[in-house]
Amino acid sequence: MEGGEMIEARRISKFFSIVNKEGIAEGLTACLSVTLSIEKGKIITLLGPSGCGKSTFLEILAGLQAPSEGEVFIDGVRVLEPLPSTRAEMDAYRKRYRFLSPLANDLFRDRPKHDIAMIFQDYAVFPWMTVLQNVTFTLKLRGLRRAEREKQALFYLNKVGLGASLHKYPSQLSGGMRQRLAFARALSVEPKAILMDEPFAAVDLLTRERLQDDLLKLLDSSGITIVIVTHDVAEAAYLSDEIIIFSPSPGTIRNRFTIDVPRPRRRDHPELADIQERISRLLKYDIDNESEYSI
Amino acid sequence: MQVDQQYGSKGFGRLTRGAGLFLRNSFGSLFSREFIKVLIPLLLLWEVIPRFDILPRTLAPTLSDVALAFRDMVINKGLLLHILYSLGKFLAGLLIAVFTAIPIGIFMGWNLPIRKHTLPLFQILAPIPPPAWVPLTIIIFGIGLPMQIYLIFLGAFYPILFNTYQAIKDTDPRYLSSARVFGASELTLICNIYFWNALGAIIMSVKTGVAIALVMLVIAEMYGGRSGIGYLLVEAKDFFQIPAMVVCMLVLGMIGWFSIEILKFAELKLALWKVGR
Repeated sequence: MEGGEMIEARRISKFFSIVNKEGIAEGLTACLSVTLSIEKGKIITLLGPSGCGKSTFLEILAGLQAPSEGEVFIDGVRVLEPLPSTRAEMDAYRKRYRFLSPLANDLFRDRPKHDIAMIFQDYAVFPWMTVLQNVTFTLKLRGLRRAEREKQALFYLNKVGLGASLHKYPSQLSGGMRQRLAFARALSVEPKAILMDEPFAAVDLLTRERLQDDLLKLLDSSGITIVIVTHDVAEAAYLSDEIIIFSPSPGTIRNRFTIDVPRPRRRDHPELADIQERISRLLKYDIDNESEYSI
Repeated sequence: MQVDQQYGSKGFGRLTRGAGLFLRNSFGSLFSREFIKVLIPLLLLWEVIPRFDILPRTLAPTLSDVALAFRDMVINKGLLLHILYSLGKFLAGLLIAVFTAIPIGIFMGWNLPIRKHTLPLFQILAPIPPPAWVPLTIIIFGIGLPMQIYLIFLGAFYPILFNTYQAIKDTDPRYLSSARVFGASELTLICNIYFWNALGAIIMSVKTGVAIALVMLVIAEMYGGRSGIGYLLVEAKDFFQIPAMVVCMLVLGMIGWFSIEILKFAELKLALWKVGR
């Protein structure tokens, strides 16, 4: 693949304030100074136990949450400005976004800020639209003409194998088919990058493995950059070019593994098994240590 | 496309089929084999108990008395016309409420500054029981159509407003996020995501609105005007015609039942995507 950075995150930190059981405000660090650059066309996995801030980090990459500090660039364009830190900055920020939230694209005009797509844990396909409408709707948001929309939607739906259920509603589909619909929707806009938040978490093991193979087949030589958040070690090892391991509280990058096994891979490839073993030991060590502290 | 093929006919045939389906769905339960066994004995008891003076017949009219009163009212008092008047006012008030409350609710749920500027006002006004508005309304609008329509509007407005606002506010953020990543503008979000996601709750709120609007219809017509079921009810009271009062009550009940069933049918047709669940 050609080089060049697709996604670049510079020293991203995200702090929340929460109220604990005693009613006292507490600070919570979801991400601390995470720096990451992702090359064009690579498949990257963010791996870690649940609650380690990897989903938050993905949402920051997508521009769905503003970071407390740091900046994200997608294809050289800044995603969101960081949240204000002083009182004066806060006032100015509030004043600027009085009418419209900083997340909003525009009041009247459909126009994506960045050429990316996102797939959520439980798919987030719109249940009130049919399969075809779900895809044409997203294409309409990208400003395609009606005839083109239909054509492109049909192309991608056939590609994921949903050509026979165009006029069904998502509630009539199985979990795996809904996931395929989410893939088709994301691919149909032909984005430069796709961000996935635990995309295979809600389906059974057999379906999961088939979907993973299908995903790799769909992506084959398309040059789309993929960022996957998951807590499944085997999935991470099978899919990705690089695994980035997050450690919890505060969420930071703990380790990185580069996987050079050529594609198509076998699931029982010895090198993959070795990497899985090492990662599992690492995560287990983290969890054991944490429990020692908490006792 | 496929839906058309599935249901075959178009136009008139489809309309009659829809109407048939509606009637069966909504009033089929009344004539089901199970309920008939309850309904017929009940009607018989209604006829028999006053007839044998178990209850005084002057106070509890028999079924036949009520049926005769109904015939008399249709012929001599223009009951059907009065029903039409009442329905007209009811629909006018309800539609005004629907077309104001739903947009206001949507804007309040969508945008925080709008909510902060408007919600307290409605929170102060909403707890006032709608019948308490009657004296002031009569002074402002006088006795007549505007006052009646305003009272009906008032009954339906707040339940629709608050439920719509709440449903819009509680829209699943994942739907919004995924539409936003694909580039949806706020207008698109309102038209394609917020509204459809809240549609079920909005129809529910209109049902609540219908119930309260019906109460306000009776109150408004009792207080003023020379037409409508509420007026006939008060008139019957003045002449101590108990069968006529029962007829009015039953007619009002039918109006309520019918409008709720229409809304249920609309829900079924609009929320097609929920059927599979």
